[in-house]
Amino acid sequence: MRFSLNFIQEFLRVDVSPKELASLLTMAGMEVECLEKQATDWIFDIEVTTNRYDWLSMLGIAREIAVVLGKKLKVDYPSPVKKPSLSTRDIVIEDKRDCPYYIGRRIEGIKVSSPKSWLQERILNCGLTSVNDIVDITNYSMLKWGNPLHAFDADRLEGNIYIRRAKKNELLVGIDGKERILTKENLVISDSKKVIALAGIIGGKNTEVTETTKNIFLEAAVFSPLTVRRSRRAAGLDTESSYRFERVVPSHLLEYASYEAAKLITEVSGGKNKGYKVAGKKPQLEKKSIMISLNSLSNYLGLVPLKSKVKKILQNLDFKVKDLSKDKMIVSPSRSRFDVKREVDVYEEFSRIYGYDKIPSEIPFLKRNLAISDQTAQYYFKGELANFVALLGFKEIITYSLEEKEQLKIEDNGVIELINPLRSQENALRSNLFFGMAKSLKYNLNRASMGTGNRGDLHLFEIADIYSKTSKGFSETSTLALSISGKKRDFFFLKGAIEKILNFLNLDNFEFKEEALNNFTNSLRINVGNCNLGFLGKLNQQQKNNFDLKEDLFFAQLDLSSVVKNRGQKKYKSFSSFPAIWRDISISVKKSIKFKEIEKIIKADNRYLASLAIIDIYEGKDIPQGHRAFTLRIFYQSGERTLTSNEVDCFHNQIRESLNKQEDLSLR
Amino acid sequence: MENEIKRLEEEFQKDFQEIKSSKDLEALRIKYLGRKSAFMQLFSRIPTLAKEEKGIWGKKLNTFKNKITSLLESKAGQGENNEEKIDLTAPSVSREEGSRHVLSTVSKEICSIFERLGFITIEGKEIEEEWYNFEALNIPSEHPSREDFDTFYLDIGEKDKGKYLLRSHTSPSQIRVMKESKPPLAVISPGRVYRPDEVDATHSFMFHQIEGFAVAKDMNFAHLKGVLLHFVREFFSTGVELRFRPHFFPFTEPSVEVDISCFICKNKKVEDSKKKCSVCKGKGWLEILGCGMIHPKVLKACGIDFKKYKGFAFGMGVERIAMLKYGINDIRLFYENDVRFLKQFSL
Ligand SMILES: [Zn+2]
Repeated sequence: MRFSLNFIQEFLRVDVSPKELASLLTMAGMEVECLEKQATDWIFDIEVTTNRYDWLSMLGIAREIAVVLGKKLKVDYPSPVKKPSLSTRDIVIEDKRDCPYYIGRRIEGIKVSSPKSWLQERILNCGLTSVNDIVDITNYSMLKWGNPLHAFDADRLEGNIYIRRAKKNELLVGIDGKERILTKENLVISDSKKVIALAGIIGGKNTEVTETTKNIFLEAAVFSPLTVRRSRRAAGLDTESSYRFERVVPSHLLEYASYEAAKLITEVSGGKNKGYKVAGKKPQLEKKSIMISLNSLSNYLGLVPLKSKVKKILQNLDFKVKDLSKDKMIVSPSRSRFDVKREVDVYEEFSRIYGYDKIPSEIPFLKRNLAISDQTAQYYFKGELANFVALLGFKEIITYSLEEKEQLKIEDNGVIELINPLRSQENALRSNLFFGMAKSLKYNLNRASMGTGNRGDLHLFEIADIYSKTSKGFSETSTLALSISGKKRDFFFLKGAIEKILNFLNLDNFEFKEEALNNFTNSLRINVGNCNLGFLGKLNQQQKNNFDLKEDLFFAQLDLSSVVKNRGQKKYKSFSSFPAIWRDISISVKKSIKFKEIEKIIKADNRYLASLAIIDIYEGKDIPQGHRAFTLRIFYQSGERTLTSNEVDCFHNQIRESLNKQEDLSLR
Repeated sequence: MENEIKRLEEEFQKDFQEIKSSKDLEALRIKYLGRKSAFMQLFSRIPTLAKEEKGIWGKKLNTFKNKITSLLESKAGQGENNEEKIDLTAPSVSREEGSRHVLSTVSKEICSIFERLGFITIEGKEIEEEWYNFEALNIPSEHPSREDFDTFYLDIGEKDKGKYLLRSHTSPSQIRVMKESKPPLAVISPGRVYRPDEVDATHSFMFHQIEGFAVAKDMNFAHLKGVLLHFVREFFSTGVELRFRPHFFPFTEPSVEVDISCFICKNKKVEDSKKKCSVCKGKGWLEILGCGMIHPKVLKACGIDFKKYKGFAFGMGVERIAMLKYGINDIRLFYENDVRFLKQFSL
């Protein structure tokens, strides 16, 4: 909202510099976003918060300025003349809930001319467009008092004035030249034959005031905020008028606004006041009395102010204050302050003018209900886990939770769509963390942002929620995703990372199971008993092409709620104090034999077998077609004594022999 | 014999100067003290000498041996240094480190500061019910105040049309905790929030917020000020000041916006536009959060007796705080995940 300092000075002499005023207003809650000089005037652009309807008028702003200057605004209200009574038309309100109060005035014999310069300056400096004298006067009045008015060309009205809901498919061409098809949502002003305005929003072209207009019907009214809001939404426009009606207009000022505007019209454009008529009743503003206690105020703010200071500030705000006792007062807020209803509202009014800088700063001794302490677990768990994954060399990323509803699916769960998306690229919630991951990988690979010295592989992770429709409604699940882009062997790096993470979480009894997953090849499911923890796999060629990825992409996802459920306690495990001895073994195996089977044979007798590692995997020269060669290192160890070299050779030979017995497997 | 020992010693000294590696050292030992060395030959002559000379020459040869041995040993410790000269200006071998995202780190740091004051951290959910996101926070439907909160609604099922949404702030977490637990309470709640904003350098349809609140019988505005001052001094710098500007939020009364004195230019207001601080644009203050005393209607909606209990609440945008702290000028950097960006904030 823009206001002009010259306009304000119609109410109040301002004796501080505009800059100083801007700073005082900002610190009282009327944030001045921009201040600029315009010829002899100063323009203030302020933010009007949704509670301060009263700042939508010069009167309200002037009152606020007076308060920050430590004064009380005195206003000379006009004395409305309500004669002669309008006899030629009736004003008929269909539903008082839509329009409780309507004042019509007829002015005859005017001559419309281009606007006077003082009038134009007011209008332009407050950010509106100047049209002609008559329209500018209605806008001037709106700016001054906060009540939007509308002038109709009286000679183009036929019969009575009706304030009613539109019939389905009625039409109105507004003064903006646009035709609108109306519905029952729209409150309209009509005469006996046609719709002439969208009530409180925009006038009709058919009754617009033009240079040839001689007689005027001037409307001043109160329309229901909700009705105007719904009507202008249905009509798809937002005007200075609807903006004010949608909040609350000061009905107690309506007579002044109507009278003063009519008077100004006769002064500026000639003509005579020839009729006044009211429909409905001036809304009775509830007289609010709020009892406040100085003691409660002090306890609320942590500051003990002087009673006289509190009273002075409230009185400057045009609040009435009556003493009840040394501690208690009855406060009646000004009629323009619909937002002040409770004790705490009064406390705020006092403290924002008094200044928050005068309230001390104190650190409280915080007490808290013990029962809530166990709700923190999830947050700390995710933090610890993320730190551990970072320790494994993965970089954390944060990606958007919204993506297309036709998203890449890994598991068959229902996607939750947005009712009001901003763009089609983000019209649903994600059901897995793949897309953001792939996008980030691609972004970095395209820019070669890892630098030239790097091997070029990227290790990324994200911890975020995924969402899907379920039979019961929906689910939102905390999830960890890991990805590596790089060479073939990186699958095992990823598998190793998963093992390390699950070990870190003391989840020992998990197992990998081969299972086909949508859009992945070589995929494994991670299970604990019957519980599914997640999966890992390599993106298939089709999707690789789809995402235009040159490198292979390995992706894993863990459902953190299942992981937490199966998490064990950390416990110290003792280890042997006797040295381990190792022996290597080289075998050549037909590819159809899985490593797991070889492992099973080796581990059949595990009395002294401490661990098993793959030193080398080899295919090609010297190896039969369709085979691969492993070099394995087997560690032997006892918990009770040092094994002798002879013993180890003996165990080792047993393993060699059992391996040798296998078909499609030969020792090398 | 005297001369021979002297000559051997001189020769040794010469060779000793030229030692380059532990290999040379060993060769020298073999040359001078080995089985076939001149020294051993001298030694083997001792039995042939006269009785009184045996003692003298034996002693002299032993002295010689000890001297060489100790010299060789003294060199042995530093032998490796002399081994091979490599080009030390060659580039280092970098090991890719893992890292946390700067928003995670900043968020955690903020929560930790409040935790040290006695707050505990509880996360809420992102799919929220309309009542928790709005009505309970004194933002009735069809009220103009709701226009400050554009929100994405979710299509969960025909039955629940318009009931579920993506939370547009973290304040619903406050409602959930207050509804489920009795005061006193002191909770901090971080998380993702969503608003239908077009993405540009300062806007994003997804961002992160941190909500904090405390409810107790004796809570007041001075406590809110103290807690926030402690926070900014620990997070930004010990010298910063706060400025409380009246504002409006439906869920607090009074409501305040909080500015921090610019920690870059130390709040030195400069009129000259060329010398203006680029962070605060010469204003000297930076807006960092919104706060206030919890509105009695909000306490009531959560079943807390507002005549007995009072509370304060505050909320801040994590992106904004991170941008200010690290001088990041584009919000999109947080979600692009460029490795060159991620690397700068490893843990
Ligand atoms: Zn600055």
